[in-house]
Amino acid sequence: MVVIIVPVIIDMEKCGQIKDCPLEGICIKICEQGALENKDGELVLIPENCDDCDLCIQNCPNQAITKDE
Amino acid sequence: MVFIERNGKEKRSLTHKNEKCVGCGICTDICPTDSIKLGPILPIARGLIETDFININKDMCCLCGLCAFSCPFGALELNINDVDAKKLDNYPRWMHDALIDEDACIYCGRCEKVCPRDAIYVNAIMPSRADLVIGEAEIDRDKCIYCGMCEEMCPANAISINTKEVSSNSPEIADGISIDKSKCMYCGICKRICPEDAIKIICTTCMLRDEIKEPEIEGSIVLDNEKCINCGWCQEICPKDAAIITKPFDGEIFVKEDITCKGESCHACADVCPCNAISIVENKSYINPKLCTLCGACTKACPQSGIVIKRKKMNLKNVRSKAWKTKLANLME
Repeated sequence: MVVIIVPVIIDMEKCGQIKDCPLEGICIKICEQGALENKDGELVLIPENCDDCDLCIQNCPNQAITKDE
Repeated sequence: MVFIERNGKEKRSLTHKNEKCVGCGICTDICPTDSIKLGPILPIARGLIETDFININKDMCCLCGLCAFSCPFGALELNINDVDAKKLDNYPRWMHDALIDEDACIYCGRCEKVCPRDAIYVNAIMPSRADLVIGEAEIDRDKCIYCGMCEEMCPANAISINTKEVSSNSPEIADGISIDKSKCMYCGICKRICPEDAIKIICTTCMLRDEIKEPEIEGSIVLDNEKCINCGWCQEICPKDAAIITKPFDGEIFVKEDITCKGESCHACADVCPCNAISIVENKSYINPKLCTLCGACTKACPQSGIVIKRKKMNLKNVRSKAWKTKLANLME
């Protein structure tokens, strides 16, 4: 059995992508683990890099990032 | 910078000076009309965004000034009829302070190095080295072959050889050698290394020690109270107990034991701390309470809400309003 751990959940409707982010994709900049990337203007999550620090959740101006507790 | 002004019975204005603000959020906690919003303090502290730490809703602000009196960093100023209300008799006054006893200070400069706000300037004027040693040093130029060994070996870099460009019409390697008496310690290494016995060194420092005056270190130290946030670093580091700090709050701060501190991968607390009181030790947040002002910026930046501040006393005097007393008590434990 393969267990895929999804560390954080990004609500794409709330997110509105980098171009509409009031802080210009702050989640990408705040994440020092490289778990969030800007791929041609689109926010991409790389789960294996996530260290579960929650900084993206706390700093997202759109409250688009959550965690399944 | 936020500036709000209104004229009524009195002319009142509130100014936020972002350069003095640390983003602690005490004003947002205390505002009775909920008009102040704390900005993204971590991205600001990391230099990822450039914006003010707080924003004040001009329509909601009632210009009571409670934020200005509770800000320990002097980042908010209420003016009543063009006078800074902190100077008015019937308004509260902070008792936090930083003093440096110049008589006790030896101008070692440790405080200047550690001050997180660059608020201290130290200038030490050292006595001349030559006044602390006695001796004789001479080089016999007839014997010297300019081999350069003394110059290379001299621990004080006191010897210099005047080397020359060598050419077919002037096959000399050097044409002079000198000892700088302001640097020479008469240690005698040059004399011992010289293959030609060309150097004479006589050290009489021990023999004539009574003739050497007690060295006096003069200097000056300046503490910029506009920049100082009374964190206590200077007081901690001073070897002569010359710095006396009165902090804005007394109380305690600690990291909760039942949280998962992400240490190196997060370090939000260390980044927002205006006092450099937090470091990451063994992948966990370590807070030195002696260097902390209990401002609370770290508690707001921690994504795990893992830092607890218990303020026991606020060094704010002359709070006359009962309503303000009640409101300010909310900042306490």
